[in-house]
Formats: sequence, C-alpha cells, structure tokens
Amino acid sequence: MTESALTVRGVSKSFGRVQALRGVSLDIGHGEFVSFLGPSGCGKTTLLRIIAGFETPNAGEVLIGGKPITHLPAFRRPVGIVFQNLALFPHLSVASNVGFGLAVRREAAAVAKRKIEDVLALVELQGFGDRRVHQLSGGQRQRVALARALIMQPDVLLLDEPLSALDLKLRRQLQGELKRLQRRTGTTFVFVTHDQEEALAMSDRVAVFRNGQIDQVGAPEAVYRNPATRFVAEFVGETNIIELQRQDGRAVLANLGGITMPAAQEVPMTGLVSLRPENVVLLPADDPSGVAAKVADLEFGGMTLRLLAEIPGCVQPIRAAMPAERAPAGLAVGAPVRLGFDLASAAILPGAA
Amino acid sequence: MAAIISGTGLALSPAARLLLALPKALAIGAFLFSLLGLMIASFTDAGGGASLALYHDLLNSHATRLAIWRTLWVATMVTLICLVTAYPLATFIARSRHRDLMLILVISPWLTSLVIRTFGWVVLLGNRGVINQILMGIGLTSEPIQIIFTPFALVLGLAHVLLPFMVISILSVMMQIDRRLTEAGMSLGAGPVETFFRVTLPLSAPGALSGCALVYLISAGAIVTPLLLGGLRDRVIGTQIFQEIFALYDFPRAAALALILVVTSLIAITPIQIAEAWLRGRISRI
Repeated sequence: MTESALTVRGVSKSFGRVQALRGVSLDIGHGEFVSFLGPSGCGKTTLLRIIAGFETPNAGEVLIGGKPITHLPAFRRPVGIVFQNLALFPHLSVASNVGFGLAVRREAAAVAKRKIEDVLALVELQGFGDRRVHQLSGGQRQRVALARALIMQPDVLLLDEPLSALDLKLRRQLQGELKRLQRRTGTTFVFVTHDQEEALAMSDRVAVFRNGQIDQVGAPEAVYRNPATRFVAEFVGETNIIELQRQDGRAVLANLGGITMPAAQEVPMTGLVSLRPENVVLLPADDPSGVAAKVADLEFGGMTLRLLAEIPGCVQPIRAAMPAERAPAGLAVGAPVRLGFDLASAAILPGAA
Repeated sequence: MAAIISGTGLALSPAARLLLALPKALAIGAFLFSLLGLMIASFTDAGGGASLALYHDLLNSHATRLAIWRTLWVATMVTLICLVTAYPLATFIARSRHRDLMLILVISPWLTSLVIRTFGWVVLLGNRGVINQILMGIGLTSEPIQIIFTPFALVLGLAHVLLPFMVISILSVMMQIDRRLTEAGMSLGAGPVETFFRVTLPLSAPGALSGCALVYLISAGAIVTPLLLGGLRDRVIGTQIFQEIFALYDFPRAAALALILVVTSLIAITPIQIAEAWLRGRISRI
C-alpha cells in the first residue's frame, strides 16, 4: 500500500440530502495518469475537492504516499490543483502567478526567479513573465495555471476539467502537451473530465464514476473492451446493448434474429451483451451468415462512417461503424444490407444493470 | 463611489445611456447651480461687490482653523476605524452561509433615524449614562468621566453610524471574488491569513477605497452626530455651518464655510480616487 501515491479509502460525502460519494476507494500509483470520468453530478469533482482538502468527507480517508491527510488543511497538503476556470490571480503578472507558492514559502528571490524561468520554459512560455493575465490566450493561460501548480512539485496534481472551456483543436493539442508534461515531470496526475474521448486518449487508467460510486477502474482499452456495467459500456464510447435470452438451452441474442452466442465464452443464460459498432460489419449480400437489415441513417465522419441499421422484426436499431473508405458502394439510407456480428469481441454485462 | 453602482459593467444601448444620463445631468446640474449660488454669496461683501474678506476672516480665525483641522482629523479617524472594523466583518459575511441575514443585520440600523441611533450613544456615554454609572458603581471613579462632547465620542458615534457603508462597499467587491482564487492560494501553501493578504485584500482594495471616500465625505459633512455627541464647544465645520445659519443667520459666512468644506474634502478624496482607479486598472478582467 505504501507504493501508492494516492489512496482513497471508503470516502463518502453528502451535501444535505444529496449523497455525492458512496464509499469510494481507489489506489493511484506514483507517476500514474488517472482520469475520473463521469457525467456531471457523478461525484468526480467532489472527490477531487476532498483530495485537495476543500471538502471534508463524512467517512473514509485519503492518504498521500501512505500518510493520512484527511484532517490536514488544504494548504498543508502536497497537492496541486488546476481549476476548471484556471483561477489565475487577476492582480498579478504571469511570473507572480507562477511564483505565488514560492513567495508563500519565502523562497529566496534569486532562487525563485530561476525556478519561475525554468517552469515557464517547461510549459513553453519563456519571456511571458511580465505579461498580465488578460494579455494571454486561452491556451497560454492554461499553461500558466499548470506552471503555477507544477513549480511546487506536488506529489499529486489534480486537474478539474481544465480543458473544457477550449475549442476542440486547441483542446487536442493541449491534451498531448499535458500528457508529455506529465511524463517529463513524472508527477502523478488526477484528471477530472466528462469527455470520454479525452479520458481514453490521455490516461494510464480511467475510473468511471456513476452516482457517487466508481463503476470500473482500468486501462482505457480494458474499460472500452470489457465494460463492467451497462453504464460504463454506454458512457465510454458507443455501443449496442443487446438482451440475451434462453432458448432451447442456449443463450440467444433475441434482437439479432436469434443468433446464438459462441460457446467459447462463458455465457450466462440471461443478461446483457455490449457490442461495439465497429464489431458490427457489413457482409456481401449473398453471405448466408449475415442478418438482413435496412440502413436507417448514415453519418459520414471523415475517417469513419457510422450507420444505423434496422433489422425487420426488431425494435432496436443496430449501430455500426467502419473506416469510411471500406464502406461498400451504393450505401444509402433505405438500402438493404447484411450485418455480421463479431460476437467474440462482445462484452457480457453482469446482471441487468 | 460610483463603482458600487457601475461595478457590474452592464452593456447598455445608446438610448439607455441617454435615459440614464438625464437624471444624472439633472442631479449634477442642480448641485452645480446651488454651488454657484454659494460661491457668489461667499465672494460678495455687504455692498454687493466682489470680495475675499469673508475667507480672509474665516481662515484667520483661530476657532475656524481649529474646526477645519478637527473636521479633517475626525473624518480621517472615522474612516480608518471603519476600514479596520469593516474588513473582518465583510470577510466573515462574504464567507457566511447566512450572508443575506448578516447583511440585513448590518443594514438594520438604517431602519431607525440617525438622531435616534446617535441618541443611543448619548444614553451610553453621557455624564449620567450607562458607562459612567457602571464606572462609579464599581468604584473606579467617584466623579463622572467626561466622555460625551469629546472628539472621542464623536469619532465613536460617526464610526458606528457609517460602518454599514464601509461594509457594503467592501462586500460588493469581495462577493465578486471567485472562491476558487482563495482555494488556489490555499493549494499553493498559503494559510487563511496569508491568502487574505495576498489574494482577498488586493482584490477587494478598490471597494475598500470606495468605502473610504464615502465614509470620509459623510463624516466630514456630518452635522447631527457632531451636534449630539461632539457638542457646540468643540466644533467641526458641519456644526459651525449649522451655528452660522440657525443661530447667527449669517448665510454668506455659512456659504464660505461650506465651500471650504467642499474644497478640503476634494483635496482629501482625490488621492483616494486616483489610488482606486490605479488599483482597478491593475486587476486583469478575465
């Protein structure tokens, strides 16, 4: 356990009647990049604020490097934070913002100056020290906020949706920079986001929050391929949720024209299956293994083509996705297609969650 | 002072601006008109010719010079006392969950008239007042101590009456400070006191300076409180004007005094206003 940079044990928190966190536990290793992913109101930001020391949990504890810090005030915790709105000090210059923590620590002016220059160089803002905050672009402000937190060399850096206010392109660029910065400094990052693509792209591990609990923690690929619950399957990426039914002692995907689940998997007789759109393929019209369907909607997304197909007799339309250049010619709304299902890649969801 | 009202920075259409400018022009026009009347009256001698005699007289009179000096001194003290007491109060209210209730408590003295509020101090500080009764009761003194009708009583009374202005001025700016800024300060290792001095104070200073200007002006021009608590022996300009008008019927002299008050107040207020503008300019709007 002492290996962990950050440990959260059975943390609960309620605001009045609203239970924001219900006994959350989590271990984060040194130098790890972990995302807290979930919709708004799922408790991810509350947990972040508890780790930072801005909120006190009703139960449970928080440890950093094995030391309990639950009752330490925020200013004594070896934790940095980058806020959603950045919270740069509007009355201070860039250098004074970045050097704020050093000034608080009464660090010698010469040492502080060098450290400020170093960290500004690290975030590629050399020579910006004398600027005022309003003279910076959104991306530059972002980096000032990062520099201000990183200069303190925190054991854990908390990031509360710091990219959500930026436009998509800048966001992608900063995601990459953030990731590189994290690798270079070796700092443990806890990144809160509601954007599943962002979480998958950046993290070593993703913790998916729902309703004050963590549904699943794992590497992005594991969470995507083997979602633990229906919520995770639907929140992380797109999916088709298909009901399993028992017919003649076999598990059958009733909605897909009675296809039997491959016996290779340990299949429960009832439950749900999550099948990603990329695991639904278009087959040649004469392929007997396919299921006949009709295209209900097409969406060209540049790299990928997504389509919604209706199987006669089935209420639930099926989502499929494929590389755009591999789409067969003559694909149009209303056109007949044959769907094939890569059931080996499907994830069985426990229960009817 | 204007910052209290204009602090929100609403975007207004030209028509709306014009509509707002009208009452402003009316108020300023009326003020300038009466000021002009005062000036003319104070610069006119008995024969109707232009003269500086009144000012010459006033500024050479020891009593008037003392009153001017006392006015400046009292107003400065009141301002400083309000500033120092209002800051913790405003900080407390800004953080409180019952902010609205606290605000009502702060403003509630305004529900009674100024005379009655000031009279409360007479009851407390008078020669047969509560404080002297207690002091004599426990044997600390055999004779009542002269508290009322001293500058001390005056400063105390004015500070009490004007404290809400200062609290509201500071609070109006403090409530606009993002809570995350103080949290950011904390996350960078600054305790509550250090965060206050490094973040909250510099960001709320413009509001505090507005409050200073407001409190200074009101105390410098006060009449009722100085009459009731300061008495007529230790006069301030306000009570002297009162005396000239209601006891001596010397309107030109009152006018000259009023002008002296306006000029000295302007001299005192200008640096505060400049400092406020400078501070506001230094805070990035982000």
